[in-house]
Amino acid sequence: MSDSGFNLWLGAPGPQGDTRLDWLETKREAARARVLDGGIPTSKQEAWRYTSVKRLLEQGFVPADEPITALQPEDIEDVLIPGLEAHRVVLVNGRYLPGLSALGELPPGVRIGGLQQILKSDPDALRDRVNGVAGEEQPLFAALNTAGLDDGLVILLGRGAALTRPVELIHLSVGMDEPRVAQPRHIVAIEDGAQATLIERYLSLGQSLYCTNSVLEVSLGRDAVLRHQRVQDESPNAFHITGLYLSLGQGSRYRGVNVGLGAAWARTDIQVRFAGEHAECDLQGLYLAGDQQLMDYHLDVDHRLPHCTSRENFKGILYGKGRAVFDGRVYVAKDAQKTDAAMSNRNLLLSEGAEVDAKPQLEINADDVKCSHGTTVGQIEPEMLFYLRSRGITAAVARRMLCLGFAGEILDCLEPQPLRERVAEQVGHRLEHSPLT
Amino acid sequence: MLSVKGLKANVGDKEILKGVDLEIGSGEVHAIMGPNGSGKSTFAHVLSGREGYEVTAGAVRFEGRDLLELEPEERAHLGLFLAFQYPVELPGVNNTYFLKAALNAIRKARGEPELDAVSFLRLMKEKLKVLHLDDSLLKRPVNFGFSGGEKKRNEIFQMALLEPKLAILDETDSGLDIDALRIVADGVNALRSPERSVILVTHYQRLLDYVQPDYVHVLAHGRIIRSGGKDLALELEEKGYGWIAGEEAAA
Repeated sequence: MSDSGFNLWLGAPGPQGDTRLDWLETKREAARARVLDGGIPTSKQEAWRYTSVKRLLEQGFVPADEPITALQPEDIEDVLIPGLEAHRVVLVNGRYLPGLSALGELPPGVRIGGLQQILKSDPDALRDRVNGVAGEEQPLFAALNTAGLDDGLVILLGRGAALTRPVELIHLSVGMDEPRVAQPRHIVAIEDGAQATLIERYLSLGQSLYCTNSVLEVSLGRDAVLRHQRVQDESPNAFHITGLYLSLGQGSRYRGVNVGLGAAWARTDIQVRFAGEHAECDLQGLYLAGDQQLMDYHLDVDHRLPHCTSRENFKGILYGKGRAVFDGRVYVAKDAQKTDAAMSNRNLLLSEGAEVDAKPQLEINADDVKCSHGTTVGQIEPEMLFYLRSRGITAAVARRMLCLGFAGEILDCLEPQPLRERVAEQVGHRLEHSPLT
Repeated sequence: MLSVKGLKANVGDKEILKGVDLEIGSGEVHAIMGPNGSGKSTFAHVLSGREGYEVTAGAVRFEGRDLLELEPEERAHLGLFLAFQYPVELPGVNNTYFLKAALNAIRKARGEPELDAVSFLRLMKEKLKVLHLDDSLLKRPVNFGFSGGEKKRNEIFQMALLEPKLAILDETDSGLDIDALRIVADGVNALRSPERSVILVTHYQRLLDYVQPDYVHVLAHGRIIRSGGKDLALELEEKGYGWIAGEEAAA
């Protein structure tokens, strides 16, 4: 047995919790073997060229296997967004807590709940869903997540089902004596013609050190629609890893907004696969990276079928010694004619110590396509700053206004309004309490 | 109110202002005219505190303070306002939010209470009406995607809202059609009072048909080469700048 460096994360082999399902154990064992064979990611690997896992390894995280039962609804009151009406699912350190959740009444054809809860009532419900989109050939952190697969959020919408209210996932982390890693696995399957909105929020109680390694698998059937908004606002000392795997059926539409604010070290991998023609994928992203913070994004959009559309628009604000990586790849297969793809990454660099590595790539093998990509790294325009100051606004406030203006394009994509306001407030708060130089 | 003595300023190694003297009293409207490249805009920018200009000699006092020592925002707090020749677009910054931030920053600096949202909206509506402006302007990002005329009107609207003691209009009339020009002129005339002064920097006499200046100055080659009453503007219009430049050369 070799050491991937992350063997501690694996815990003891064998079933998690109190359910034992053969198909699940097979998947977990395979992932475990993959982790053990894989070794530690190094800068020689393209996916890890700019980012080292050294800091992550040094923490000695162990699995978050102790259930947190002491939390009461009043403990999470501050976390809730007033006016946001949603089917609420609360996970604490990766585990579903029904007592804090508020699923409300669900329309016919809709199942929402904790992964273990769903498996208990219907052991085969997720047999084809787990790794259904992510596949078995997973990169290290997804494999670790699979090997430790225990709990998470499950949303299943049958044909034509429609949720009018969003599903809000609140993932709360609570610090423990020993630094823990929680590895929730979320499954979202929207069948033909069904529609849903998912809000994912990653938060912490306190400023503790922990790690979240989440995987979300999304499959959209024919003409299905998913609006997905993800806000990562972990503790400033936390590590956050996420893999988002999307499979888009014919004529389906995915609209995602990805906001990264918290954590000391955050890594996001997004993989988009078109499973039918005329599907659309729209990904908007915003990240803030201040002192000692790393925001690392890897997008892999694979147009293997014709007539699909993809948009990736990520904006970053970096200050202090903040670092960001944007590694985006759009691949267009030979037969994927009429592909319409545009990838953009724009960064506002507010200090000399901040750094961004941006690497958008297009790989086009078809001849009748519309594809573009663009990257900018810029500073605040002195002209804009002067204009605001000439109106009596102090330099510090003016800089903040311009940063918020830059972020506004992405924040405006958030819905509904209470969520948009809360996130704008969080961004404003962060900017207000950071030296934007 | 404003006293400029022997002001010299460089852009890079080039001397643009070569000793400007100007006295402006309360309630006065001064027009500064001159050919392109005479230093008109540089003069306006130096007064407002824009970066990129090096003052090499002279003094500027405004409301009893050494203006050149102050940051741009401090000048605004004292009551100085520059209407930009090319207003800057601020994508993502909402116009109403911006105006409220500006007004309250100035009120705060003056020791006045900040306006709450309701009082602010009321004040904006009132000013919009005076200037015959559409309130859709307020919902958009500052100057973003505005037409040339809308940008200039937005400058005048800001001026009306911020009620400066000294407003400097840097070629606000350039590129405006006659209707927009009237709105600009109405805005300036509405602001006129015994406590407020205005500097109109302009290339053409046209604006002065609508805003009657008390004094007209001709700036050429970085110096004020002639000052007079409003008739000077008419004479300039008739004879062109060559007339004065010629006289200067002869003298």
